[in-house]
Amino acid sequence: MQDENLLRELESQRDEIARQKKEIIYSLQYASLIQSALLPPDRIIKMYLPDYFVLYLPKDIISGDFYWLAEADECVLFAAADCTGHGVPGALMSILGISFLNETLKEKCHLKANRILNQLREKIMKALHQTGERAKSKDGMDIALCIYNPTTGELQYSGANNPLYFIRGNELEEIRPDKMPIGISGTEELSFANHLLQMESGDIIYLFSDGFADQFGGPEGKKFKYKPFKQLLFEIHKKPMPEQKDILVSAVYDWKGDLDQVDDILIMGVRF
Amino acid sequence: MRFLSFRIQNFRSIVDTGWIKLSPDNITGLIGQNESGKTSILEALNSFYEGSISEDILRSDLSMPRVSCIFGISGREFTEILNEKLLPAGILRCIKDQSNITLDRIWDEDFSSRIEIGGDDIIQCFDEHYRKVEERDERIQSRIDKILVQKKKANDNLQLANQEKEKVSDELELLKENIGDLQRMVRSSPAESKGKMEKKLKSARNNLDKTRERLEAKRRIADEQHKTVREIEDQARYAEQSNEARMNFAKAEQELEEAFHNLAENQRIFELADSEKEKRAARIQLDLCNDRHVKAVREYERCREEAIVRRVLAYKILQGKELSMAEREIKQEKPQVDRYYSRVDAGNELFKFIPEFVLFEDFSSLLPNRIDLDDILSQNRNVEGYKAANNFLKISGLDSDFFKQISSRILKQKIEKLNNEITINFQDYWRQKIGQQNKISLNFELEHYDHSQPDKSGYPYIEFWIRDQQERLYPKQRSRGVRWFLSFYLELKAAAMEKKSRNKVLLIDEPGLSLHARAQEDVLKVFENIKEKIQIIYTTHSPHLIDLDKLYRLLAVQRAAEDYERSETMVFDAKSLTSASTDTLSPIYTLMGSRLTEQQFIQQKNNVILEDITAYYYLSAFLRMIKLSKEMYLLPATDVSNVGNLVNLLLGWGLEFIVVTDDDSEGKKLSKELKLNLFGNDDQKADEKLISIGNDNCLEDLFSTIDFKKFILHQRIGIPESNSEFIKINGYSRSILAANFMQTCRDAKLKFSDFDDETQDNFESLFREIQKRLD
Repeated sequence: MQDENLLRELESQRDEIARQKKEIIYSLQYASLIQSALLPPDRIIKMYLPDYFVLYLPKDIISGDFYWLAEADECVLFAAADCTGHGVPGALMSILGISFLNETLKEKCHLKANRILNQLREKIMKALHQTGERAKSKDGMDIALCIYNPTTGELQYSGANNPLYFIRGNELEEIRPDKMPIGISGTEELSFANHLLQMESGDIIYLFSDGFADQFGGPEGKKFKYKPFKQLLFEIHKKPMPEQKDILVSAVYDWKGDLDQVDDILIMGVRF
Repeated sequence: MRFLSFRIQNFRSIVDTGWIKLSPDNITGLIGQNESGKTSILEALNSFYEGSISEDILRSDLSMPRVSCIFGISGREFTEILNEKLLPAGILRCIKDQSNITLDRIWDEDFSSRIEIGGDDIIQCFDEHYRKVEERDERIQSRIDKILVQKKKANDNLQLANQEKEKVSDELELLKENIGDLQRMVRSSPAESKGKMEKKLKSARNNLDKTRERLEAKRRIADEQHKTVREIEDQARYAEQSNEARMNFAKAEQELEEAFHNLAENQRIFELADSEKEKRAARIQLDLCNDRHVKAVREYERCREEAIVRRVLAYKILQGKELSMAEREIKQEKPQVDRYYSRVDAGNELFKFIPEFVLFEDFSSLLPNRIDLDDILSQNRNVEGYKAANNFLKISGLDSDFFKQISSRILKQKIEKLNNEITINFQDYWRQKIGQQNKISLNFELEHYDHSQPDKSGYPYIEFWIRDQQERLYPKQRSRGVRWFLSFYLELKAAAMEKKSRNKVLLIDEPGLSLHARAQEDVLKVFENIKEKIQIIYTTHSPHLIDLDKLYRLLAVQRAAEDYERSETMVFDAKSLTSASTDTLSPIYTLMGSRLTEQQFIQQKNNVILEDITAYYYLSAFLRMIKLSKEMYLLPATDVSNVGNLVNLLLGWGLEFIVVTDDDSEGKKLSKELKLNLFGNDDQKADEKLISIGNDNCLEDLFSTIDFKKFILHQRIGIPESNSEFIKINGYSRSILAANFMQTCRDAKLKFSDFDDETQDNFESLFREIQKRLD
């Protein structure tokens, strides 16, 4: 009699947990829809960057990585960012990031990639009450931001911890970012650097988060790392952009095998 | 030792200033409105040094005041001043790590005070030490108390055992008697009952044997208890001696406390005594109190040592040590039995080496017309001009013996000679420090009261004269400036003559009061000249006692609610001056305007009219950093509403100019008016003369947010709004921020390349526009 009661109790608890899980998943899926709506749709990206791909693989249903695109003064601005954490906290931060980028663009008169990052950092610091003396949170984001002027072919890049890979002909060049996040850090805020590149037809750039290179897997369960990642991009860069995306997806799934995905993955490739 | 910062609590209008840092270059100015609490700060610092306060400084809630000061000192100096042997190892280590000391002056309700060494780290070390000592003492005392309890218990047991022994012994005697009766009865009883009686006798004999055995057992128990008592009593004797010594120490402590309070009270009565008769009576009482206090101190020290030695001896005996060994050990451990520094002891030792605080205020420090010689010799600080006269005698090398000279001729000669020497010195100082050529000499005479003042008739007094080429006047008849400088000279000269290794902190209340502007600036010059040897803290209302280039020297003092004089005093340090009210900062604002007008800015051409002083500071700072091909002369208006007047003035004189305005609402309105009034709404002509910063910006917005935070605000916070909006929202003073920025540029020798590309672009662009118009 006692065993039956216990069994019934356990079944009831199991059903409750299953119901809660279902609700959470439903809620996250709905949140994911909202997050997706904040990301630029393919058709819009294609209008400004006709030959491109975005590989976007959230670790959970919603993501702390985001990509962004906007147009101003006949220039196209695009970015790939990686917020602190993943899942719900990362997603909340990504929404702050997207909103602040849009807001900054409305306020700024001079289209300079580094100044936009400077301003974005101010907004994040203010929103999260981050001060030099006693930072309440060290949250923030890493980002690579580009401004491309199709008329002149000039590309501005400014990076907060996220580099830019630039391939011309048979050479891949890494444009190094500033080693500062968007948010408070241990050292006093300095201006981000603004890198200028003159794009030529066929040049390719890649913007990405650290999710791909940091994925554990392979025969020894180690990180993929940046050197092989760079090598992989270089090997596939001549292939059509959609095919590059498929290869990267296969590569990351092959690498991780049965292991879990450790972080959100975002790679954005653009051919000019 | 340098005086670095202070904190004042519960002193007149001050509740708690928080820690306030003094200027690093030894001159600190307190600015603020009347009744803001500036003088209270000086008084509180003086009380920190002197230790005395009066009832009227207490706040309405009667919280007792506390003044804390931090002095710079190295770990090495620390251990030179304090005897290392008197510091437990933990505290010594902590002290050696310090670069400064905190001393707290704490007053008790009877107005007596003590100095304690403070500082969080050091207090923590002391607390830790006290905790360990307390635990150890408690452990020892508990062992002592335990043995006394054991002794009592053993005595009780012994008493009980003896009582039981006696009881059984009585029983035995009774049984013996009973057996004797039975034996007689057996012998005398008839044959038929004989058997029965013998049986009874046998039973009684058995009982007697058993009782004998019981008595023997009781005797053994009593003997054992007795032995235990003897053993315990040996140890308990030392425990009792320890407790007795402890009680004697408590009594001695109480007596010392009473004797001290008695002494302090009589000291106060003596100081307040007016007449010589009262003073004499008070002196007798004071001497008696002093004797009692000295005896109490001696008795206290003796009892303290006795209590410690007795306690440790008892503890060692209780641990099972032989008396001779325990005594030998105590002899060897004597240093540990000795007293360690308490926080008060350490505070008092260090206090001897801090700079001497001297309050220079009108009543006591300004040279009087005359002062009674008795007041000087009896050190009556409550008479007007006491300090100044005392300084004068110190400088002259005079003491009471000098005035005992019977020959009035010799005395007069001596006085004349001294008058000449002092005059020469003062003129030297007057010329070198002040740059004045006035031939002023200081004279003094010894006179005696005549019958017009019967109560003082025949008593001597010193009369002072200040003489120049024309006349000989009493100090109070001279200008206040001369009197002030002369008195200040006496103070400085007396300080220099003391030749003490200790520095001095001079607290000066309103040095500029009633002096004309130039003389006030001379006061600043004197401060500059002496600051290496003497730290100066002064109060002022006057813009002439402020160096605009050294705003970091200022502390702003104001009431929390400015229109309510009973609200508490707040102090803003140099970094937060901008948080002070406009009224408090008024001397700075006045100075900003007046200094600019002294300079020859206006030229025939290339004049650039600016809206206000803020724009002037920013643009002139950048002009120094950017090398421009064309000279330009920046002319700030007092504010945007006065730009029109300045424009009219230059137009009237036929001088060439352009106008630079902010692009905020006021700037836009100004541009519109100038365009209409000067250029008949002709866009092209207006554009040649008027430059707007553009984009709704003010001049601060030409800085990138990063540079604004780094070079102007000196804070790390997120500023998403424009810099000018941030200033407005947070109520900062634009002009103070701008003045500080100019100072930062000078002090840090900033270069244009130190700013980021955004700031550089914006200012280059503005200067390009200005140059284009000037061409």
